[in-house]
Amino acid sequence: MSGKLVCTIGIGLTLTTLVAMAAEKTLPDYGRDVRPILSDNCFPCHGQDSKKRMAGLRLDSYEGATADRGGHSALVPGKPEASAIYQRITTEQASKRMPPAYSNHTLTKEQIATLRQWIGNGGQYAKHWAFVPPVRPSVPETKDRAWVRQPIDAFVLQRLEAESLRPSPPASPGAWLRRASLDLTGLPPSPAEVDAFAAEVKRKGEGAYAAAADRLLASPRYGERMAMDWLDVARYADTHGFNNDAARSMWRWRDWVIQSFNNNTPYDRFITEQLAGDLLPKPTLDQRIATGFGRNHVINSEGGIIDEEYRVSYVTDRVRTLGMAWMGLTLECAHCHDHKFDPLTQRDHYRFFAFFNNVAEIGEDGRVGNAVPIMPAPTSAQQSRMRELEAAEAKLQKQIENHKSAWSAEEVTRIAAQATEPADAVLRMHCDSPDEFEKPAASGFALQPGIVGQACVTANVDPKPTTGGKGVPVSAREPLTFSLWVRPAATDSNAPLFSTVDYATNIAATSYGKGMELRLAGGELEFRFADHFPAYSIRVRSDGARLAPEQWRHLTLVYTGTTKKAADRSQASWVRMFADGRELPTVILNDGLGIPGETSKPQLTHFRVGWDNSAAGPRYAGRLDEVGVWPRALTGDEIASVFHKQALPYAVEAARQKRATATEMTWVRVALNQKERELESVRSELLALQREAPSMMVMQELEKPRETHILIRGGYNTPGEKVEPGVPEELLGAWPAGAPKNRLGLAKWLTKPDHPLTSRVVVNRFWQQLFGQGLVKTSDNFGLQGEWPSHPELLDWLAREFVDSGWNVKGLLREMVLSATYRQDSAASKELIARDPENRLLARGPRFRLPAEIIRDQALEVSGLLKNHLGGPSVYPYQPADLYKGIVVAADYPGTKYVESTGDDLYRRSLYTFWKRTVPHPVMTVFDAPDREFCIVRRSTTNTPLQALTLLNDPTFVEASRRLAERSILEGGSKPEARLAFAFRLAVGRAPDEAEMRILQKTLDQMLTSYKTDEKGAEAFVSVGSSHRDSTIPASELAAYTAVANMILNMDETITKG
Amino acid sequence: MMECGKYSNSSSRRQLLTRFGYGLGAAALGNLLGAPEAIAADNTFPNFAPRAKRIIFLFQAGGPSHLDLLDYKPEMKGRFDQDIPPSIFGTQRVTGMVAQQDRFPVVPTMYGFKQYGECGRWLSELLPHTGKIADEICVMRAMHTEAINHDPAITFIQTGSQLPGRPCLGSWVHYGLGSENANLPAFVVLNSLPGNGMADQGLLSRLWGAGFLPSMYQGVQFRSAGDPVLYLSNPPGVSREQRRTVLDNLSALNQHLHDRAGDPEIETRIAQYEMAFRMQASVPDLVDTSKESEHVYEMYGPDSRKPGTFAANCLLARRLAERNVRFIQLYHRGWDHHDGLTTKLPALAKDTDQPSAALIMDLKQRGLLDDTLVIWGGEFGRTPYAQGAPKPDKYGRDHHGRVFSLWMAGGGVKKGYAHGNSDEFGFNVADGGVHIHDLQATILHLMGIDHEKLVYSFQGRRFRLTDVEGHVVKEIIA
Repeated sequence: MSGKLVCTIGIGLTLTTLVAMAAEKTLPDYGRDVRPILSDNCFPCHGQDSKKRMAGLRLDSYEGATADRGGHSALVPGKPEASAIYQRITTEQASKRMPPAYSNHTLTKEQIATLRQWIGNGGQYAKHWAFVPPVRPSVPETKDRAWVRQPIDAFVLQRLEAESLRPSPPASPGAWLRRASLDLTGLPPSPAEVDAFAAEVKRKGEGAYAAAADRLLASPRYGERMAMDWLDVARYADTHGFNNDAARSMWRWRDWVIQSFNNNTPYDRFITEQLAGDLLPKPTLDQRIATGFGRNHVINSEGGIIDEEYRVSYVTDRVRTLGMAWMGLTLECAHCHDHKFDPLTQRDHYRFFAFFNNVAEIGEDGRVGNAVPIMPAPTSAQQSRMRELEAAEAKLQKQIENHKSAWSAEEVTRIAAQATEPADAVLRMHCDSPDEFEKPAASGFALQPGIVGQACVTANVDPKPTTGGKGVPVSAREPLTFSLWVRPAATDSNAPLFSTVDYATNIAATSYGKGMELRLAGGELEFRFADHFPAYSIRVRSDGARLAPEQWRHLTLVYTGTTKKAADRSQASWVRMFADGRELPTVILNDGLGIPGETSKPQLTHFRVGWDNSAAGPRYAGRLDEVGVWPRALTGDEIASVFHKQALPYAVEAARQKRATATEMTWVRVALNQKERELESVRSELLALQREAPSMMVMQELEKPRETHILIRGGYNTPGEKVEPGVPEELLGAWPAGAPKNRLGLAKWLTKPDHPLTSRVVVNRFWQQLFGQGLVKTSDNFGLQGEWPSHPELLDWLAREFVDSGWNVKGLLREMVLSATYRQDSAASKELIARDPENRLLARGPRFRLPAEIIRDQALEVSGLLKNHLGGPSVYPYQPADLYKGIVVAADYPGTKYVESTGDDLYRRSLYTFWKRTVPHPVMTVFDAPDREFCIVRRSTTNTPLQALTLLNDPTFVEASRRLAERSILEGGSKPEARLAFAFRLAVGRAPDEAEMRILQKTLDQMLTSYKTDEKGAEAFVSVGSSHRDSTIPASELAAYTAVANMILNMDETITKG
Repeated sequence: MMECGKYSNSSSRRQLLTRFGYGLGAAALGNLLGAPEAIAADNTFPNFAPRAKRIIFLFQAGGPSHLDLLDYKPEMKGRFDQDIPPSIFGTQRVTGMVAQQDRFPVVPTMYGFKQYGECGRWLSELLPHTGKIADEICVMRAMHTEAINHDPAITFIQTGSQLPGRPCLGSWVHYGLGSENANLPAFVVLNSLPGNGMADQGLLSRLWGAGFLPSMYQGVQFRSAGDPVLYLSNPPGVSREQRRTVLDNLSALNQHLHDRAGDPEIETRIAQYEMAFRMQASVPDLVDTSKESEHVYEMYGPDSRKPGTFAANCLLARRLAERNVRFIQLYHRGWDHHDGLTTKLPALAKDTDQPSAALIMDLKQRGLLDDTLVIWGGEFGRTPYAQGAPKPDKYGRDHHGRVFSLWMAGGGVKKGYAHGNSDEFGFNVADGGVHIHDLQATILHLMGIDHEKLVYSFQGRRFRLTDVEGHVVKEIIA
């Protein structure tokens, strides 16, 4: 192994010249000036990774650097010339020179001088700033006190004064309002709001700003704006990724995020619920929904992948996201080896890994919908209806309990006599004779007393029995109802009743894992319907049947069948289960059955009775009686009727003989009580709601945690030493006393008030949202290779303030937008731009191109097209036809076809746009939105011709232009000038100046002239989009205004927050 | 034509680079259509004289069977249905699709191979046209990869990592070398619709994505239906003259804003709108093949008249190469022949054989082959053993990464050459193995780039296309 490994690792993330400039020139600061040089150039071979350490030398600690190496040391404090470090970086001898040539690294003269100075000064090491808990600094004194509005400003101004720079003058009230509105709500202010605000500022002065900030923070649009950035971090999408990229349903989690921001949920809770909501005591539905965060990662459904390889990658992604989102650390760098720069070992990585390693997930999953574990997540409307129903249920139950009337055998018999059994069964077995089975020449067939006549016991039948008749027509598209009686033996805790699932054939065979099955599982009924068990199947279990050995029970399974392919709705919701004629709640264990095409025909199927074809699978040892299968979904009443017909005569007879069990007496009581029927209808509506609730993927712990091992070189199949969940306590703080060693404990540790990273990383990202870049510019890396903060004390002050305020996000943002720093004009002189091109010193206001979502939302808003419904399933706005053609998988999985929405859903905010990972919406990607395959905490901001083409020609923006034109004609006044000014103001929040008005006028005139002679062209231009054009306006006039409006929507100022 | 509006003259360029953290490599200043730029002295690309100026990658997604196309294994004949010896099988990682298979029976190719060209290259009867260019191409017969499933394997060959997030080859090249055409994107992607064969696995836009590089370096898809580039056409009722008028006024407004706000980004925006306007002319001109002569269509085959087919895309690729587009990425899908290989493979070969060969001949005739590197191949090969039970003339093959074949031509690659050999079963590398990172290092090398110097810092680490590996395969360089 050559030294090649060294060469690509290591990086030149030095401080900007600016930051260095500000530092006192005399003494190099170890953390700011020295370590970046050592880290980048030396640590890869002389750092923390013991496996790659060369010559046994460590330079990442004072002890290592000063160790005696046989009469000399790498570092001799105070004596550069005597220090091997200095000798080796300055030697003329090429073979001895460090860093070695093969590393492609060289030190500059300045860097060498810095190291020399540092050694001369004593060569002291210091802990990396970001690993030391922030301490609240005192707010500095500045020469100019008048400018300071918030403590933030004092920190900023102190720095500016040190640089002999003056802050820029404040932006106009209108400019501030537009900036703050875009930052806090993602939408521009209306001209009326701008006017009202200007008047308020005149009237109330400073108070007007605070009032406006409060209004924006209270808007429901605030939560949507805040969610936008978080969806990137949390890698939210509507598809699973990888080349099948089928749809998933996680929008209930997305809506939880919006609500959390709107409710101003304290940020420590925001963290805790997403990491470990399910582990909180008695978690609420919302807290469990929050854990969808841990499941937003990509999931691969490519046939034939190795499950464990991908399961490991999902867990790794959770670790990576945890590190990036809340600690600003690249934890994943320690997946294969010790971290090259940060003091994190591979062991540390796998101790984090252990927290997330206990999910009952399958590596290959998600071809048809959500991947397990999943849960129904009813919407708030559904929840409130459920609460009503639950109240009604409780009331009825009470009434029933208070009304235990005596029963009469006559009455029961009468009910039984009225009960009927639907005549259209495709299979009906009385279980009175072996002839009812497919292979009548069987031996071992036993008869026992049944519910009606005899019941059969098939455990010893040889050859193994299968159902008789012509066969049951089975198709995922078609409904089917099974009705049967069981009296399980004590050994039947896990036993197949009816099965066609193929567990035995070669896994490569197309028949493998296909089929339908009913079985008993832990006293419950389980239904399986599979294309490829287990991932591509429905697996539903009853919850509350509580079957007991040697007890007769009636079971019904209804598969309602479907032709719909919808990731949004749980497919398993087509399954209903009944015991003794009453519907039962169900638990969905898996939900991934594909729906065949229209031309597919149901298969006539014979079921194995009481066995499956798995090797050494158990056989059902109990009794079986009165089996019926119907090729349709029987209603609840029909099912009750079948039950009554078969059960009541038996119960009456048993009661007469005084041998009726408590359960059997319940059948009778229920049949007699009218209130029971009311209760049943309430329960069935409740269960229907539950079934129809949107599905989502959640975190759920395995009962028995998986063992976690260090994976040697990161290989899923090369486990090494076993590790327990835990955190690098020495580096980042002690584990909270008494906290459980699970995700909840992890959340507690992460949100400890003195955690060195969490609060800094979070406030830095909010700063980035408002100022375009973080105080630590590398908001994704607070480690040793990250950039030194431009204002370290300000960062710490904000972090402390944030934590001490109870992790109050709105409070933090309020402070930022009201600061004089934020309120500065963003215009800059050539000199200032030359001096500080990135605006790190904050001598001017932020100016950045808007994010993709806001560019589109703003166009919809100013044109009056935007439809503000909060939340709900994702929508499908205009997208070029055939965008998926030639790219997406040929198979017809959900999410492989883009069916454009109609009506309001064309005009929803962009964060609701269907996010397909392999082909995201082009308006999003062209404006730098990521594809959301993994956690991203900052986007690039590019400036390309494709962006120009999009804004000029995409029907979204053309339609918005036309609607903006209509608005300006109808609402802007009668004169062209007034109309143009109206449109301009809508877009940028200020009136055009004279020069601008001249250009607007000129454009309008030119376009009017041009369209007057081109009626047809004008008509075509104003007909773009599905909204109707205002036909009272002549086409040529509207076309000319539309051209101008389109120009306005394309202005740099419009798409920029300035 | 190297003019890049005001952008290239703007004194603020360097600041822009710093502002967006493009780093030194961004000296190429990959504004999407960026003019060729003088490059910062401390990190000059190319690092040495390039052999190729542009690349056409004819990507065959799904894993074409090397054993039935490019890698002649007469030793396998007569071994039908025999088990692969354990010494050969070794520690092969098998996919879940064959993991339960109790045996791995050899299935020799049912197709005839014969020798082509003066070099006497053995090629399958399914590739008669490729045979005609046998003396132009270099067959790499000992390629190997680490991935055994499509998504990671395609991601690996395209981005140097099996996991998503890295820039693709085209983005790296664009980032390093910039553009040579001021009116067209530097990195163009052409996805082919099924011609005779079937589409299969999905592709992913990340395959032509810029990863952590600024998104301007991502490939621009040219589409066969609708606008060739998304949103290229003016809306109905807007003429080019009207558009020009509006853009002039827009430019005046933006210039006015720049005078006040001073942000250099505004100047860039003005320039990009001009570029967009030029693209509206240059792209339709590029994709309009109506003036191509009859014999050109004949050369590329009948499919070349159907927009969106691989053949039509090969013709477009030549037109893009003529216009100095830096990186032209084609995709043809459908090579994933787990079963029914013997019915599907001939159709797939037919889709690609003639047009690929035509492209080489066409480039050669026009004097473009010498500085255009053409690569033909997929993400892995297919197993010498059958998936499921084989018949001599009816079989399927699973994914196989331990050895596979592809070919390269032009751009400084040896002609009529074959590099490396698989073993007698076409199962393992026998000699001359070329890892994916080696291939990538070699491609960059031919473009004049030292693969160890093309780096980008992201989240505290320096990244390369070749990660920490990669050796230039000097043997194949002419």
